[in-house]
Amino acid sequence: MSNKLIDIVNITKSYDENIVLDQLNLYIRENEFLTLLGPSGCGKTTLLRILGGFEAPDSGDIIFDGKNINSLPPNRRQLNTVFQKYALFSHMTIAENIAFGLKIKGKTKGYIQDKIRYALKLVNLDGFENRTPDSLSGGQQQRIAIARAIVNEPKVLLLDEPLGALDLKLRQDMQYELIRLKNELGITFLYVTHDQEEALTMSDTIVVMNQGYVQQVGTPEDIYNEPQNAFVADFIGDSNILSATMVEDKVVKMLGAVWECVDVGFGKNKPVDAVIRPEDIDLVKPKKGIIQGVVTHIIFKGVHYEMEVLANNYELLVHSTDMFPVGTEVGIKVDPFDIQIMQKPESEDEEAAGIEE
Amino acid sequence: MIKSAAKRFYLILIFILLYAPIVTLIVLSFNSSKTRAKWGGFAGKWYITLFQNQEIMNALYTTLIIALVSALIATIIGTAAAIGVQAMKPKFRTLTLGITNIPMLNADIVTGISLMLLFIAFRFSLGFKTILLAHITFNIPYVILSVLPKLKQTNKNVYEAALDLGASPVYAFFKVVFPDIMPGVFSGFLLAFTMSLDDFVITHFTKGPGVDTLSTKIYSEVRKGIKPEMYALSTIMFLTVLVLLMLVNTAPDKTDVLSSGQIEIKKKHKLSRFIFRKVVPTAIVIVIVAGGFFYGSHNSAAGKSQVIVYNWGEYINPDILTKFEKETGIHVVYEEYETNEIMYPKIQSGAIAYDVVCPSDYMVQRMIENNLLAEIDFDKVPNIKYIDKPYMDQARQYDPENKYSVPYLFGTVGILYNKTMVDEPVDSWGILWDKKYKDSILMQDSVRDTFGVTLKYLGYSLNSTDLDELEEAKKLLIEQKPLVQAYVIDQVRDKMIGNEAALGVIYSGEALYTQLENPNLEYVIPKEGSNLWIDSWVIPKNAEHKENAEKFINFLCRPDIAKMNYDYTTYSIPNSEGRKLIEDKALRDNRITFPEPEDLKNCETFKFLGDENDALYNRLWREVKSR
Repeated sequence: MSNKLIDIVNITKSYDENIVLDQLNLYIRENEFLTLLGPSGCGKTTLLRILGGFEAPDSGDIIFDGKNINSLPPNRRQLNTVFQKYALFSHMTIAENIAFGLKIKGKTKGYIQDKIRYALKLVNLDGFENRTPDSLSGGQQQRIAIARAIVNEPKVLLLDEPLGALDLKLRQDMQYELIRLKNELGITFLYVTHDQEEALTMSDTIVVMNQGYVQQVGTPEDIYNEPQNAFVADFIGDSNILSATMVEDKVVKMLGAVWECVDVGFGKNKPVDAVIRPEDIDLVKPKKGIIQGVVTHIIFKGVHYEMEVLANNYELLVHSTDMFPVGTEVGIKVDPFDIQIMQKPESEDEEAAGIEE
Repeated sequence: MIKSAAKRFYLILIFILLYAPIVTLIVLSFNSSKTRAKWGGFAGKWYITLFQNQEIMNALYTTLIIALVSALIATIIGTAAAIGVQAMKPKFRTLTLGITNIPMLNADIVTGISLMLLFIAFRFSLGFKTILLAHITFNIPYVILSVLPKLKQTNKNVYEAALDLGASPVYAFFKVVFPDIMPGVFSGFLLAFTMSLDDFVITHFTKGPGVDTLSTKIYSEVRKGIKPEMYALSTIMFLTVLVLLMLVNTAPDKTDVLSSGQIEIKKKHKLSRFIFRKVVPTAIVIVIVAGGFFYGSHNSAAGKSQVIVYNWGEYINPDILTKFEKETGIHVVYEEYETNEIMYPKIQSGAIAYDVVCPSDYMVQRMIENNLLAEIDFDKVPNIKYIDKPYMDQARQYDPENKYSVPYLFGTVGILYNKTMVDEPVDSWGILWDKKYKDSILMQDSVRDTFGVTLKYLGYSLNSTDLDELEEAKKLLIEQKPLVQAYVIDQVRDKMIGNEAALGVIYSGEALYTQLENPNLEYVIPKEGSNLWIDSWVIPKNAEHKENAEKFINFLCRPDIAKMNYDYTTYSIPNSEGRKLIEDKALRDNRITFPEPEDLKNCETFKFLGDENDALYNRLWREVKSR
């Protein structure tokens, strides 16, 4: 990964009294697939719109390729956006849609023709030149929207939940398509989604956001395996977040028992949160476990079983390929490195703002 | 089965009721007979004469150009406004929409009057421009209303996507947003066009002299009696509006195409697109250009010197106007009113600079008192010498120095009686109180006329403001009431002709007509005296073509012209030289039309008595009528 392409410095944005982005800092490297991930209302779309030039930040700077582009209007920014609702021009044919940006730039007819053909091939829609947007399916329309954006050879492609309106199967196909496109084009993708699976599948870097704050920045593996706070842990995949006490380094007390872990530096007898992924809980014979519990619920999920286990008055979520019928008494074991210890926030606001980069 | 038949019957019945009046009109427009009572066979001749009528064609063109221009401008302003409103925060949007909708819900007459007042306040002279402004004003809300829903449907991202692809805001709007809202804009335009075409009330208040749209033209024609050409014209208007409405409702609607996506609809879409892109604009251009040539060629005089005449309806021989134009080269802009009370506020407001107006006696006095009239330069009106002295003297009652007015037409109020029913000689108002004629007496249903007659009978002035005299007159009227068959206005004429009554109070102009219909009728001006009314030409202070106005008045005083006017109106002319030119001796010597000076000895003209006295008269009149 090379140098910073976009540097977002201290961006604040509010609507009326409502602060959407608060002193946000973030950078995007060249040729990176970066995903802004968070629940709706977390400010990810606003950030994208500020980058696209459709909204102006209240304060802070957007540095693009070393230049401040705060006051540059959208039509003069070297980035293109793919909108959630496609935003195709319905009264134009597909070819006219794709040619829109090129015509404005005054490209020759031949060049435009070549580009249209190339872009349609790239999105697997050859021969659609003379169709109208209305006659296309949702997935096809979205691919045209992408084609329309990329023919302009932007340095960055901004994608605002582009797959949100598609059904599951199509969404998965499009995820692979996007990865392929990104690799073929070699441009930077800035992707916005609230779908953690999408983020984990496609991204080089994931930025988890909540209530206008960046919660965590990292590779998909980092984010999944080592969430830095309860929000990230909860938002990315399923997890058990437990109130715990750090007895001393590498020793944590939770679920009415003392556990070995790998985390250090939290102090002695400090209240913390402990995260355990459901698939990291091993169900064993009662006597072999550190604590014991009873299976209260079981659902077959295909790849695995999803079970709820009641242990010392805690409900634990467990994913396992082994099946334990309801009522079975089980022992519970967790490997030390599968226990993730996090600071305990004191309030909800602090929870959101708590851990910044 | 029965149920569905009943349903169908009900539906048909509704349609019949809805369209019966229009169908009647359309059928009558093809009736070759001039009266609506008789079917004279199918003919399209009224359509031909309609198109040969220069004034109607002018009005048609004015209507079209105003509808077109106002709709175009309103569409531009309204679309811009809709875009602005759409971009507002919801709270302000609701408020703004509410404000823009009010003019639409407002009664037309209120909008019309307030616009007129505004124009007057800003010293706009009423005319073509003010109609146009008024139409633009009331059209804008309709455009906003039809554009806004389209804007709401439009994906906001589409505009942003265009910007994102490098389009400037203006380019993005016209290339991307406008095509999306185009159907709304177009139906807004058509709606505005239709509303403008349709409007009468607002136009009526904001128009100036010499400018007429079809609706105001039809209105003024109707006052004179409906001509069959009007049926033809109304038919054409109805069909035009019908076609326009059909166009509005079939305007290309994107959702249609989206929902069905069928080829058939696509074709229709293309066809309507063709109509909207090619046919309609072409038609518009043709109308403007062709109409412009037509209009221009017939109105070449418009730029030259002119005189703006404001006169009673049907109160001049139209040939006189043509003759005047031919002889002097001065273009006459001619406008009519129905009553003094309608004319007065228009002059007072100064909205329109009329050059010459024809008020009645008491109104002349009122206008002099309110300093609205200019002194006439009688050096420029040498023909004043043809106006008979008795009338100039009578005119002193309202224009004491004969400085402001020139008598035009006059008449008297008297008793019309049926010789077969009344044996004794009639020479006094007293006969109206004779119990012999119980239920055979007709009185005028008008406060000043009835009180005037009574006051005269009592030997008082008909302009009396003395409470005792008036109370006495009131008592006398109450006493007379059991004898009176009816208090009426126009029906005096018909009832007398039909031998339904023996005696009636009537105007001399009508008396002459009744005699032609029923030779047993006789008219008399009682010896106690009566009302002599004189309508006179005056020049308002704000007249812009005073010299032309004096030329016009001078022209009307010419004996041959006065005679032409007599032929047309059959009202009395105060012009002996003119009277001598009347061919028919019986008419020339008719004492009803041309009373002897002794007949007028005790006659007076009405004066304006002031608002308080008006109220007093009205109160007493109510007391009489309520008994």
